[in-house]
Amino acid sequence: MAGSSASETFPMPTLIPLGDSSFLVRFGTTLTDDANRAAIAFASALARAPVPGVLEVMPNLVSVLLRYDPCAATPDTILGEVRLRLSGLASDKRKPHGWTIPVVFDGPDLEETAAALGMTGGAFIAAHNASPLRVLATGFAPGFVYCGLHPQVLVLPRRMAVRPAVPAGSVLFAAGQTAIAATEMPTGWHVIGHTDFNNFEPTKQRPTRLTAGDTIQFEAVR
Amino acid sequence: MSAILTVMRAGPLSSIQDEGRFGMLLHGISASGPMDRAAFALAGQLSGGGSGGIEFTTAGLDIRLASGTCQVGFAGGDFVVRHNGMVQDWPGTVLLETGDTLAVTPGSWGNYGYLRFDADIVAKPMMGSIATSSRAGLGGIEGRALRVGDVIELSGGGGTGTVPVLPEQAEGAIRVIWGLHADSFPQELRQRFLDGTFTISPRLDRMGVRLDDVDGVFADAKVLSLVSDAIVPGDIQILGDGSPIVLMRDHQPTGGYPRIATVVTVDLDRFAQLRPGTSVAFTPITLDHAHQLLRSRQR
Repeated sequence: MAGSSASETFPMPTLIPLGDSSFLVRFGTTLTDDANRAAIAFASALARAPVPGVLEVMPNLVSVLLRYDPCAATPDTILGEVRLRLSGLASDKRKPHGWTIPVVFDGPDLEETAAALGMTGGAFIAAHNASPLRVLATGFAPGFVYCGLHPQVLVLPRRMAVRPAVPAGSVLFAAGQTAIAATEMPTGWHVIGHTDFNNFEPTKQRPTRLTAGDTIQFEAVR
Repeated sequence: MSAILTVMRAGPLSSIQDEGRFGMLLHGISASGPMDRAAFALAGQLSGGGSGGIEFTTAGLDIRLASGTCQVGFAGGDFVVRHNGMVQDWPGTVLLETGDTLAVTPGSWGNYGYLRFDADIVAKPMMGSIATSSRAGLGGIEGRALRVGDVIELSGGGGTGTVPVLPEQAEGAIRVIWGLHADSFPQELRQRFLDGTFTISPRLDRMGVRLDDVDGVFADAKVLSLVSDAIVPGDIQILGDGSPIVLMRDHQPTGGYPRIATVVTVDLDRFAQLRPGTSVAFTPITLDHAHQLLRSRQR
């Protein structure tokens, strides 16, 4: 996995208007480790040095959304400030918060997933938990996190059929990633297990615990 | 000032809203808030500006004031409102006294209307807002739509004032800015999107409005699988089966379907009020033009 050396360079982003009140700063059109790290680093830079007129910053898998008030700041001003922060963009210096998340690997798709990768269930679980993953992005649904990226030997497409509802805590696997559903939702991902780790408490002012860039060590429990 | 009202009848999409729950996208929660923000603001001005309001649909709404008195303002679309059986001007305002009833039925146009009061709606704020999110199941009363028997408490002075938003007077094509993935649609298809006629389908709610693609513009569109990216209200995404859907206030925060265009802010209220069966066409404008429209509306 790419280190965060001082000489790290990030892909050049494109700046795209998303409607009339947001810009997207997009570091790639496919999910790569570099583009994801750049998005997280840039969101972190914006948190350290906010841009006047920008109301909300959301990092995504390969981009950062900046929601702004068009009556308070012009696009030129905002994009100028954005380019300033991009030119000095360094890898995220925050020490990532490390989490250990216990998973019961009892999902309905576990054996099929392992078989599709040419492994036994036990070997798949061992390979899945072999090294820590990074939280690549949040935001798809309340408390939902994408984690990755797995090595190529663990890359599997989504299922053909969508399950109309999987329960909160479901641990999902597809496209080189592991995701945790914090609320009940439909999904086309393989359900490989479940966790008691709760990443959505709506009564709190900050309702989720995991942040993009955090590291997660999954741990098999019974 | 305090009062208690009881919901006597409510459609399945009626909900408590405020201006919205902003700043929570990275937690996976879109802002919600009124489908027609200008109408919500107008109802607030008419009532005296208590925080929060009730959003209702063409299914209508009946309430009864169980105790106290309150000034109620109503606006949004065209509806018929009866105070103790007597038809009132719409939009308008009336003083409710204990035992009074207010009954709303649909008029000639529009999907959404609002009741607001001279006192604040009492509800437990979630992340700083009482707006109901049908997607996340948050806010309002237990995060759900209103239903018969719900009791809503009004308290406080209100009068905190709402920022007036002048309603957009434009008619005709809905104005859009080309979207995040516009470049991935062939030029010829983009032109057909502008030339084509779409109608509002009956499949609409606070999350999105599905369009019927009358001319089959997207029938054969090859829809690529894209990396999931941020969504904003007004985004027009093309589903895998070629259905266009305009994402609204309870939109999912991110998504992987291609988006050809985004409805501009000043036209989103007007779009939300288009009833099923209405024809709709889209016309592109520049970002600068969209900003001029926004600034002129705030004057």
